[in-house]
Amino acid sequence: MDKFKQNIAPYLFIAPAIIVLLLFAILPILIAFGISFTDMNLLGLADWANINFIGFDNFARLFQDKAFIQAIGNTFYYVIIGVPLAVLASFLVALALSYVSNWLSSVFRVVFYMPSITNIVAIAVVWGFLYNKEYGLFNYMLSLINVDAISWLDNPAIAKLSLIMLAVWKSTGVSMLIFLAALQSIPKSYYEAADIDGANGWQKLINITLPSMSFATFFVIVTTLIGWLQFFEEPFVMTEGGPLGSTTSMALFIYQEGFQYSEFGYGAAASFVLFIIIILVTVLQFKLRKSEDKS
Amino acid sequence: MHQKLGYNRIIVNTLLFIGGLIIALPFVWMILSSFKTDREVLNIPPTLLPEHFTFQNFIDLFVNMNFGTYLVNTLVIVFFSMFGLLLNTMAGYGFGKFKFRGREPLFILVLLTMMIPGQVTMIPTYLILNELGLTNTMTGIVLPGLISAFNIFLIRQFMSTIPDGLLEAARLDGAGEFYIFFRLILPLSKPILAIQIILTFIGAWNSFLWPLIVANDESLYTLSIGLALLQDQNVTNYGLQMAGATFMVVPILIIFIIFQKYIIEGFNVSGIKE
Amino acid sequence: MKKKKLGWLSAILFSGALILGACSDDSSGDEGTDSTSSGDDTIQVWTMSADFDKFVAEFEDESGINVEVQTIPWGNVHDKLLTAVASGKGPDVIQIGTTWVAEFAEAGTFLDLTDHIADYPNLNPDNFFDAAVESTQYNGQTVGIPWYVDTRLLFYRTDLLAEAGYPEGPETWDDFLDAATQLTARGDDQYGVDISQGDPQFPFMLAWERGFKYDEAKGSANFEDPAFVDAVKLHNQFFKDDLAQLTEGKELYQAFSDGSKPMFFSGPWEINSINTQIPELEGKWDVHVMPKAENNNSMIGGSHLGIFHNSDNVEGSLKFIDWMADPETQIKWFENIKELPANTTAWENPVLADDPMIATFGEQLESTQAVPVIPEFEKLAQELIKTLEQINHGGADIDASLADFRSEAARILGE
Repeated sequence: MDKFKQNIAPYLFIAPAIIVLLLFAILPILIAFGISFTDMNLLGLADWANINFIGFDNFARLFQDKAFIQAIGNTFYYVIIGVPLAVLASFLVALALSYVSNWLSSVFRVVFYMPSITNIVAIAVVWGFLYNKEYGLFNYMLSLINVDAISWLDNPAIAKLSLIMLAVWKSTGVSMLIFLAALQSIPKSYYEAADIDGANGWQKLINITLPSMSFATFFVIVTTLIGWLQFFEEPFVMTEGGPLGSTTSMALFIYQEGFQYSEFGYGAAASFVLFIIIILVTVLQFKLRKSEDKS
Repeated sequence: MHQKLGYNRIIVNTLLFIGGLIIALPFVWMILSSFKTDREVLNIPPTLLPEHFTFQNFIDLFVNMNFGTYLVNTLVIVFFSMFGLLLNTMAGYGFGKFKFRGREPLFILVLLTMMIPGQVTMIPTYLILNELGLTNTMTGIVLPGLISAFNIFLIRQFMSTIPDGLLEAARLDGAGEFYIFFRLILPLSKPILAIQIILTFIGAWNSFLWPLIVANDESLYTLSIGLALLQDQNVTNYGLQMAGATFMVVPILIIFIIFQKYIIEGFNVSGIKE
Repeated sequence: MKKKKLGWLSAILFSGALILGACSDDSSGDEGTDSTSSGDDTIQVWTMSADFDKFVAEFEDESGINVEVQTIPWGNVHDKLLTAVASGKGPDVIQIGTTWVAEFAEAGTFLDLTDHIADYPNLNPDNFFDAAVESTQYNGQTVGIPWYVDTRLLFYRTDLLAEAGYPEGPETWDDFLDAATQLTARGDDQYGVDISQGDPQFPFMLAWERGFKYDEAKGSANFEDPAFVDAVKLHNQFFKDDLAQLTEGKELYQAFSDGSKPMFFSGPWEINSINTQIPELEGKWDVHVMPKAENNNSMIGGSHLGIFHNSDNVEGSLKFIDWMADPETQIKWFENIKELPANTTAWENPVLADDPMIATFGEQLESTQAVPVIPEFEKLAQELIKTLEQINHGGADIDASLADFRSEAARILGE
């Protein structure tokens, strides 16, 4: 009987969440998957008789759509530069906060969390000013050291980097908290033992801190990657994907091309391209993690 | 040795201080701007301190908004989201501390829900709610956002910090599974629960899209929707927008300040064997 | 095996119980009504306008019909409408932005009002601006009744334009370009005009003024019209000759106030905003109808009121729209929120006629053109914006870019 209880226990724990997810997340995803093979638009939404199955036409069209190809390229650019920066920044902040005195740490936890809870309009206004070519603070500071003004948001190559900088600033808070919690979970005895062995700070970081919190690092990397692959809000408020489509991410493309114009079939197809990329990247990480655990 | 540590500390403090100042600037600007006139908010270069200090934005905010109902609805959503948090925590614990058939595929299923933009599933989700007769109900507003894969995943990862031996010992003592969860796991998970509570609160407090889409009646609107309506009527009034944003962020700050201290409280394993 | 099944079953039961528990705790929202359950004396109205609830109290008293108002933020009304279309659960009366008429009408969202118009004198098309009525017509159907209108004209600094020799504002586009060139020559960071590059209607206005008329039968070939090409060239000239700033620059009111951008094109709401935000400019600015080329046509926008296709209180809804279309109601609405009446009779009222700036808007409304009422318009407009960006920002060749635009337009139009 006890054995039986223990067998069903995990199902009891996960069932409520799984059932709600099946109904309100998985089922809609399946429906959307079906939609991606149709030409559904507003007409089809109003009367399902108007929906035609068109096979892989949407997908074929997507890969001929220069804007979509550009969006894929931009998204990878964001991810490759942004994710390491975002993870590293939040880790360093968390590490620094664990070194300073308690009350100072309390204050700075709040301070570094602030970007996550700053209103998006305020972000757009303040960062819009910082990046303003003629009157912005950044260019003013550059002029003090005789550097020419930079077109932060108007130059296709620089605009992407400017948005990455903004996004790293904005996303540091949450990951920082997770790293902080993970740092606290490392038993003090590990460090005491290392002290006895005469390890220096760097050695302790590499040999104790990093391995002991790999469970949290893994979480932060996986979720940050998923988040950055769905990069949306920053280009949406700052550049609307411009100039010349250079900051359009896949998620922004899906929103603009698919849903602003009610081309649900096309938008759903684009979403599934993104979906598949995210799955591949995530599964790869889980595989790597597993082989790491074994070794 | 000691002196070196002192230097390190000074460097870290200075770096934190400078970094913190830059990082917090937009937030501080948002708060200060709520006391500025509309015009001043958009000035380039911006002013930090208000030139003409005014409470008018807050007065407009409180006079024009139907706060009572919106606040109640928002708090109801917060309440249910905390119930959702419990379900998330249970699921995270289930995935993290048990070995059972179907664990991997089910967990992948959970993660899949994080991987698709919300726009894509909005209409299908609405149609499901409609089929279930849940449109224009609080239940319909709460359900789509109740379970969060992010939270489940987070809990699952942090479960690895709790030694399996503790659970085995409790089971040998004859403790039931739910007793173990509520009396052993939850108290041990305080740091990560504190983070979860903060994140869940923020999400629920800012609820916007589902209340708007599911409600066919303004009596189900939330504070965020009220603010959006107010901003609609005052599109160019940035002072008012900042006042609204400031008003919305105060409870978040309070919750954050209360709960953030648990994040670093640490895992007090020895305290459990009382 | 059996045990596993039992495990699943109990897990499902358990979570079902939890969900039910959650549901039964709150029924506060359940008494709300949707259109299918509303009685004869109730209509539900979706609007994006503020204070609408208070405004309709008078109608409720007069007619005995109860009006349930749901206000929806502009930014989200599209999503809300989509779910209503998908589920068939909409309100009775619905505010329609002019740009969505075609898209939603094609999907059968609105009741055809053609046969009802004769029964309600206020709904007569002759009561409204022609271009506004035009934008309520889709495939021979009348999908809504004009409620308020919106147009664009020129805002300018009288003092600075006087220095350039145009104290009354530029009459023609030649005057305009002359003035803008002089004002730009004042020095660095001085411009003639501010052009909102994200506004898709503005290039169309330039084209209309040069005689462009969109003919649905011609499709993408419309954009070969020399008038359209000239409009694009003019749009590019603003930026090429530095008459307008290409980058973000100063905030508009600030630039208008310090004189660095002494002209811009905008709508009626701007009057109030300028008065409250830059009061020190009082007496130094004015509005002027659009500069003239072949004509001085501006766009017409605004909102209509329509009835949702499956409303079960059509009569009550019609009564309500009839009341909203009444000149007296429209004047009150103008006084309430400064949105311009669609009903031309309302414009004879001193409240509007004696206000010189508002009267100028009235004058402009006489020469307006509606964007083509086709579902694909929004996409075409966005594509045009992209093309202009390539020309203005990217320095692309105008003719080549326009050829690309035409082939893209052909695809969008399904040719």
